[in-house]
Amino acid sequence: CTDFSNHSPLLKIATMPSYKLYYFDVRGRGELIRYVFLAAGKEFDDIRFTSEVWKEHKPKAPYGQAPFLEIDGKPLAQSNTIARYLAREFGLAGKDSWEQAKIDELLDLSEDMFKEVGKPIFEKDEEKKKELLKNLTDVVYPKFVQLFEKSLTANGGKFFVGNELTLGDLAVYCAFDTPLKSSPNLMDDCPNLKAQRSMVEGLPKLAAYLKTRKDSHI
Amino acid sequence: MPTYKLSYFDLRGRGELARLVFKAAQRDFEDDRVQREDWPTLKASTPFGQMPVLDVDGKKLAQSNTISRFLAREFNLAGKDSFEQAQCDQYLELVEDMFKEFAKAFFEKDEEKKKEINKNLSEVVFPKFLGLFEKALEANGGSFLVGNSLSLADLGVYNGFDTPLQQNPKMMDSYPKLKALRSRIEGMPTIGDYLKNRKVSDI
Repeated sequence: CTDFSNHSPLLKIATMPSYKLYYFDVRGRGELIRYVFLAAGKEFDDIRFTSEVWKEHKPKAPYGQAPFLEIDGKPLAQSNTIARYLAREFGLAGKDSWEQAKIDELLDLSEDMFKEVGKPIFEKDEEKKKELLKNLTDVVYPKFVQLFEKSLTANGGKFFVGNELTLGDLAVYCAFDTPLKSSPNLMDDCPNLKAQRSMVEGLPKLAAYLKTRKDSHI
Repeated sequence: MPTYKLSYFDLRGRGELARLVFKAAQRDFEDDRVQREDWPTLKASTPFGQMPVLDVDGKKLAQSNTISRFLAREFNLAGKDSFEQAQCDQYLELVEDMFKEFAKAFFEKDEEKKKEINKNLSEVVFPKFLGLFEKALEANGGSFLVGNSLSLADLGVYNGFDTPLQQNPKMMDSYPKLKALRSRIEGMPTIGDYLKNRKVSDI
């Protein structure tokens, strides 16, 4: 096999980077990154581990946390940073800087909702836990579901940003994965959001993965 | 040139980083500081019922870190390529992680719990993040967090320690590179003046 490594730089540009994603074997903070790879049809090493095995990988993590991504061995940390970077690489980050910002808004808004979702999960006091769960169903979910419906409708109802699938659509889809498990009807008054969810689920590259993916609590 | 208007309360809080980006880039903007009593009327006109909001020639953008990232890209403070942009993002998110811990103390009403949280902050959380950022500076040549010049990463870390330092002015004393970065920013044109003269706010 001929060694082309000293030849035309064009051959180097044509080589795809190798991607290794390191995360626990749950959806959690890794799933959005997986969605980006799948939706873009890009290969990646989906390294999943238990808490025990994590101890072996932790020294490689830039800041001692997962998920982290290795791009030809160069590490990148922080789930949303990784998702944004890959979206830019794969053309899922909008057509210009403004659209990129509109997508960022959705990630940041999802993060606001995620902060609330986490509270009952980590609350040890049973009474407080009940209160927090009730607050989620009665106050938090309705609030966010309305904000996302409004944003989607303002953009024509089909995609969150621009005229095609972007990280924004994947991020909102991902954000509701866990909430819908405990509140399956939370999107009932949001026709566009419901339809957008079906659209994402129906994407050929994601559909197979979503059908066979094993269940995880978070 | 677009016209920029940043609307936020008259304190640092979630609006300050965007203000620092404008100042570091030496760009004009309307620093619309909203008084508490005027906020309820304004609220409905914002994208998600919150501030800060950035108005760019009539188009609105919400979410503090989104605004800061957008402005950084506009003003070449987001690194020289996509990977450096990602590195800037990384630092913003790390500051956000630190802020989450810090916010716990701020919102805790129970005095005993508050004491515990503050103890954890000074003994565990702040040393962890101070060490992390100091090490990152060392690994990148000592002067800036990303690349060879000031970026959103440096401004984000500067801004992230404003309130903690107000409460504990000595907290950075054992972190020379971080301290030097702060001085460097404070010595830069326009942003230096702004930092010298800005009024003090609790948060």
